[in-house]
Amino acid sequence: MAVCIAVIAKENYPLYIRSVPTQNELKFHYTVHTSLDVVEEKISAVGKSLGDQRELYLGLLYPTEDYKVYGYVTNSKVKFVIVVDSSNTSLRDNEIRSMFRKLHNSFTDVMCNPFHNPGDQIQSKAFDGIVSGMMVQTG
Amino acid sequence: MAQCVQSVQEFVQDSFVPMVAVLCSEEAERVTRKNNLNFAELLRPFCRLTSEGHMRDPNNQVQVVKNLRIFVNNVVTSPNRPPTALSHAQSKILNEVVLSCQPQEGVVNNVVTAGDYDLNFSATTPWFETYRENFLQSMPASDHEFLNHYLACLLVVSSTEAVPVEQFLKLSQEQHRIQHSGEYTNPKWFIPNTLKYYVLLHDMSEGDEQRADAVYEDMKQRYGSQGCYLLKMNTRSFSAEGDEQIPDPWSQYLQRNILHTQVRTAIGDLNGVSGSLESHPLQLDITSSSGSLHTLGAVKTELKKGARDPESLAGGAGSHGACLTLNDHDHIRQFIQEFTFRGLLPHIEKNIRQLNDQSRFTKSLITSIDRILSGSFSENMVYPPEAPELQIRKMADLCFLVQHYELAYSCYHTAKKDFLSDQAMLYAAGALEMAAVSAFLQAGAPRPYPAHYMDTAIQTYRDVCKNMVLAERCVLLNAEILKSQGKYSDAATLLIKMTSEDSDLRSALLLEQAAHCFINMRNPMVRKFAFHMILAGHRFSKAGQRRHALRCYCQAMQVYKERSWSLAEDHINFTIGRQSFTLRQPEKAVIAFRQILTNDSRQTATQQSAFLREYLYVYKVTTSAQKIHLPQLPLPCIHCSATRVYFGHERRLAEGEKQAATHVSLDQEYDQDSADMWCHLEEQLVAAANRGIVPVNFQPTQCCLNSQTDNQRHPLAVVEEPIIVEVTFRNPLKVSLALSNLSLLWRFTADDAPPSKEKMTNELAITNEEILALGVGVTVYSGFFVLCCHINIHSVDLLLPTGQQTFDVMVVHGKQDLMIQGPRLNQTKEDKMTVRHGHDQRLNFIVTSPMPLMEIFFLQFPTALLCGEIRKAYVEFCNVSSVALCGLRVVSTHPDFFSFGSQATTPLTPVSPTSAENNSAYKTLATPPQSGSAAFEMLVSAEDFSQPSGVIDIPIDGSTLQPGESTQLPLWLRGPDQEGVHEINFLFYYESTGKGNKISHRVLRHTVFICASRSLSVQASACRSCVPPHHSLGDKGGGGTLIFIDVENINMSEAGMREFHIVQVSSSSQHWRLHKCINPAKDKDCKLTSRERAKLCFRATRCKPQKGTPYRINKPYLSIISSSTPCGDFFFRGCQTSESQRLDAPSSRTSCSSKSQSCVSTEDRSSDITNIVRKCNELDLNIIVIWKAYVVEDNKQLILEGQLHVALQTIGKEASSLTPREEAQEMVLLKFKSQLPPPVILPSAELSQLVKTSLHYPETYTHPFVQDSLCVVPVTLTLSNCSLAQVDVIIDLRHKGTSPETLEVHSSFTWVGQTQYKLQLKPQEVLCLTLQACFLQAGVYNLNTPRVFAKPAEQGAMCETSQQTASPSLIFINNA
Repeated sequence: MAVCIAVIAKENYPLYIRSVPTQNELKFHYTVHTSLDVVEEKISAVGKSLGDQRELYLGLLYPTEDYKVYGYVTNSKVKFVIVVDSSNTSLRDNEIRSMFRKLHNSFTDVMCNPFHNPGDQIQSKAFDGIVSGMMVQTG
Repeated sequence: MAQCVQSVQEFVQDSFVPMVAVLCSEEAERVTRKNNLNFAELLRPFCRLTSEGHMRDPNNQVQVVKNLRIFVNNVVTSPNRPPTALSHAQSKILNEVVLSCQPQEGVVNNVVTAGDYDLNFSATTPWFETYRENFLQSMPASDHEFLNHYLACLLVVSSTEAVPVEQFLKLSQEQHRIQHSGEYTNPKWFIPNTLKYYVLLHDMSEGDEQRADAVYEDMKQRYGSQGCYLLKMNTRSFSAEGDEQIPDPWSQYLQRNILHTQVRTAIGDLNGVSGSLESHPLQLDITSSSGSLHTLGAVKTELKKGARDPESLAGGAGSHGACLTLNDHDHIRQFIQEFTFRGLLPHIEKNIRQLNDQSRFTKSLITSIDRILSGSFSENMVYPPEAPELQIRKMADLCFLVQHYELAYSCYHTAKKDFLSDQAMLYAAGALEMAAVSAFLQAGAPRPYPAHYMDTAIQTYRDVCKNMVLAERCVLLNAEILKSQGKYSDAATLLIKMTSEDSDLRSALLLEQAAHCFINMRNPMVRKFAFHMILAGHRFSKAGQRRHALRCYCQAMQVYKERSWSLAEDHINFTIGRQSFTLRQPEKAVIAFRQILTNDSRQTATQQSAFLREYLYVYKVTTSAQKIHLPQLPLPCIHCSATRVYFGHERRLAEGEKQAATHVSLDQEYDQDSADMWCHLEEQLVAAANRGIVPVNFQPTQCCLNSQTDNQRHPLAVVEEPIIVEVTFRNPLKVSLALSNLSLLWRFTADDAPPSKEKMTNELAITNEEILALGVGVTVYSGFFVLCCHINIHSVDLLLPTGQQTFDVMVVHGKQDLMIQGPRLNQTKEDKMTVRHGHDQRLNFIVTSPMPLMEIFFLQFPTALLCGEIRKAYVEFCNVSSVALCGLRVVSTHPDFFSFGSQATTPLTPVSPTSAENNSAYKTLATPPQSGSAAFEMLVSAEDFSQPSGVIDIPIDGSTLQPGESTQLPLWLRGPDQEGVHEINFLFYYESTGKGNKISHRVLRHTVFICASRSLSVQASACRSCVPPHHSLGDKGGGGTLIFIDVENINMSEAGMREFHIVQVSSSSQHWRLHKCINPAKDKDCKLTSRERAKLCFRATRCKPQKGTPYRINKPYLSIISSSTPCGDFFFRGCQTSESQRLDAPSSRTSCSSKSQSCVSTEDRSSDITNIVRKCNELDLNIIVIWKAYVVEDNKQLILEGQLHVALQTIGKEASSLTPREEAQEMVLLKFKSQLPPPVILPSAELSQLVKTSLHYPETYTHPFVQDSLCVVPVTLTLSNCSLAQVDVIIDLRHKGTSPETLEVHSSFTWVGQTQYKLQLKPQEVLCLTLQACFLQAGVYNLNTPRVFAKPAEQGAMCETSQQTASPSLIFINNA
């Protein structure tokens, strides 16, 4: 399961970042931030050829020594980033995909909340719950 | 990778140059020492050849050698094998090289714009280039390659030697010994028979030149002219120094030289004591990341020492080559050229040829045999020096050194194949590396650059051979080449891969280069750049390169700054702060730490407190070191725009039972509506003071300035009056801060006397996220000056969170500026396009001359009243200033609520609240009423009571209030007519007696809340009495009207039983007067308990038009002068307001009734008629009901008094004291079809009121029918014209009954005589007609049969109306 899940706004500032509490949060912030370069590269590469009908799932953005970073971009250019432990080899592409889909659905629900101000940090219990479900459960 | 000064080709070429060793005799050494240089150093600046050389390759093709550089070095011998990694001493040298190479201040950085990022950083990284150059030069020579093996040896002997030739021999033997004895593994030699070049050094200042020439001749004989050289130098003597400035070409090589010699010597030294390297004292402890200042200091001093030592050795900077003239320089240059072209290149050419032949011969034979013989090879296999594979490699290296890259490549390629098949990995990697490099350097580029060769080589070096030095070299070369080809991504990957734990410095530099690669990509990867910069910064700091670390973090900061990646931002800021502090840049540190604290951080409380402590420490050090007076503090945050400024003293709210005017206080929230209301009131006051005209420059007085008020003008402050400034602080941290010793700092431009300032001290604690407002006062003394208030928090004491065990308190002093920005302008187009702010002069006061200051107190001021209740209170005006005041006025939102009494009717008696306690608010008539029936009448003009506008002048003695004086006035209050809570605002106005002040007037506000509860409801109606006024025939008008007054107790209060007594009913009218009460229950005192209702009945008669006659009637025992204060006051006030309401009302009504009106107006006369009729029905009578209420409150009986007003407008219409609820306007259907004008409906009902008729006849009439069968009774018909117009009246006595019953009845009697009259009645005329009725028999008859038609004169007949009243007039006819 994931060790860090982040939602990044269109303007590339974080809307939501949650990481496994046992590890250094700062590290994940850096990792997620750096991954945005790759996300942008991928969007611009795909955007030219396929236009709007691009795949939202961007796949593996880049592997680091300890983690694998996966990306997903909604049509409104909101980015989802999931960081997975490299040692976790059981996780397949399909599962990552379904995680992103679940995340996207929950994010859509958050955006549908009339009391949510778009562009604000996400503070939703339901979203929190979904994210917690995807995170690594540590004691 | 960053941009480099050198081109790639230059860099790669320079990385591999022919090496030349130097062996010097002692005497020669002495000669060169004169210049503070050894021989190798002496030659170094001239080692690049400017002219082209030529040589022939094995195929006899001429090869051009351009821009060749040779490297000359002293022979340093060591017996050890070269290490696979750099020694610690070497890495220390590299560390210092990097440390000493810092970006210059003020160098123009280039700006890279990527997306929405603008990055500012230097594109070049000279420290990296220096590192690279030094690294490559300090590469230890190894067995698997020959590139940095010595190709030749210079044997240098001085001409002063006794027998120079002998010396040459000695040196030659020495060289031979070093190379061939096997004692030393270092230095390594390229070829067994190394080129020996004999140099005779001649010192021009010392030796005998002829002798030197002779020796040289001898040498030529011995070694051939191409193997020796006579170098003449030191033309200049020491004494001549300073005469001419000679360029010092050594200086740029000096540093490197020193370091190199150090490296060499260090290697030499340390190799002797091998094994103890790890604990060598010179090794700096650079791994500590905590960054104590000591470490830094150590590094610095170490560096300085290192830099100074060789200098002192050399005798000070700038003194190199002191004995050399420019001619000497040329000699040296010539010598190098001669040596290279005549000695070195032919030597290389010869060797290449030899090796070529040899390899061609052996390749086919020996290699295969060898391979078969030796069988298996280990990975670390070592070839013997004579191995044919190595010969190929040697040849390749030679070709490479002389720039014959094509041949070099093919040789390397061959060698590579051989090595690979032998599984000699190190050799193979070396061959691969050089093959790739030579392929790259091939001019025509017949083949693409084999990047995979490099990859393989690197991998092999690193993973198989564990030789990081070689791997690093390979990476540096490859990265540079990739960069030149634009393959930044590959280069970055390569560089990042090379980072490892073993060397922080290398990792840092490579990471930085990787970061530069990311930013130089076609689509710049800004975030990767930033991230790798941070990583580089981290490694730099681990390597002790704080300055570089700081630079890296600062560059990365540009990407993270203000992008709401706050966690990362905080981390960077914190690191920057720390590094800056340790680098003695506390200002930078303070700024960085401040960033952490001012940003809304998401850090935990403990983290924040750590940040805070760190910041406070740095801050304290900075301030104490720099002696800055009160630097800026970032905490707590001040909401500048929320600053409020209050002019004046803090108000006492109550003093004993005195209740001070509320005025304005800081507790009040600003409210635009109320501000407008006050402004409107003030306008009224100013207008009243200026004879009804508001001055053009009128500005409402503002006592309290905040963000919403208009702050464009400088506020006026009065001398000797305090100004209270309220500053709002916010603590953004999760840690509490304690503030103490707060004071305002201010600045002013004074005209004369110096001001003094007052401090206010407040001890406060701001806890988490709490917003705290704090009043700090400043009092200003002396004359006119503009006070530019610069308010600063003088000192802020900060306490650490209380949760901690160690409760160490760190106190810092600082200030915060109050910079208030005005509201955003939005007037012109420019304003709208850009963000512009207006001025806010809230804190820039102009202090003016003294002004009067008044305080107002209220005594016995109620908070709850019954509707209409009259209460007397007292108001006290105090002049608390030293200036007299006058022109006291007041205006209120509810002018009918209060009255000061009118001067005309109230004798000014000294009143004190205590003596008048039991008195009723009303004044009673001193003399008892004359008689119960007689009505008391008084003429009062309304002007006495009311004032033209709402502004009321306050009648104080002498109309001025001297300083310190106070005066008390009675104030009558009347409860509002409507129940509920009423907010009543008073605005008092006063001005200085002196003229020409900047402030024309001052105002004082007061707001009260009155809770009005229901008392009585009075409903009155009037109707015309049918009865002719026979009781008062004297009244000519005969317009008797009955007034019915319904009084109901509608008080809902259950608590104190309230019993209302109607004390008096007065009337006020211009035309009417109330006559006596004609109540059915005459004697009864009119008493009303809860929900009871009483009916009072009065007769009113018309009187001559008089002005204003309040009229008193009823209740013999107590008679109240209703015409005087307060009764009259409130009555007339009430009239005014109700009139103004009435004036308002029609305007709203016309809209809906306009249609019908327009229809009516089609015929003029009908409107005339209505007018007449309305006039006729107009009453305009005001009734004042004065009551008393008995209330039990707290076991005490209280008597409350009050009055209610009813205005009767028309006869027959009911009027109430309670203002009716506003009826919702009915929705009118929108009609598009034009409406047919409705038939003119004559207001018959109203017209029937034109003429009043009454029949007068004897009630019973006895007639002897026996004697006379006809009984004639005289009947008088009185007609009175009620209207003010002439009325035509037609009286028809004929029976016209249509119904059978009337016929039946009426047939019994007839009118005799004239049966039809046509009359004209003058206005208000009463006419009596004598009629005669004839009866035939006894009985009861209804005489009311005459039909009277009336119409206003000169009107059409159509509007005749029956004036008949329905009531029967019965007559009894008795038979006698």
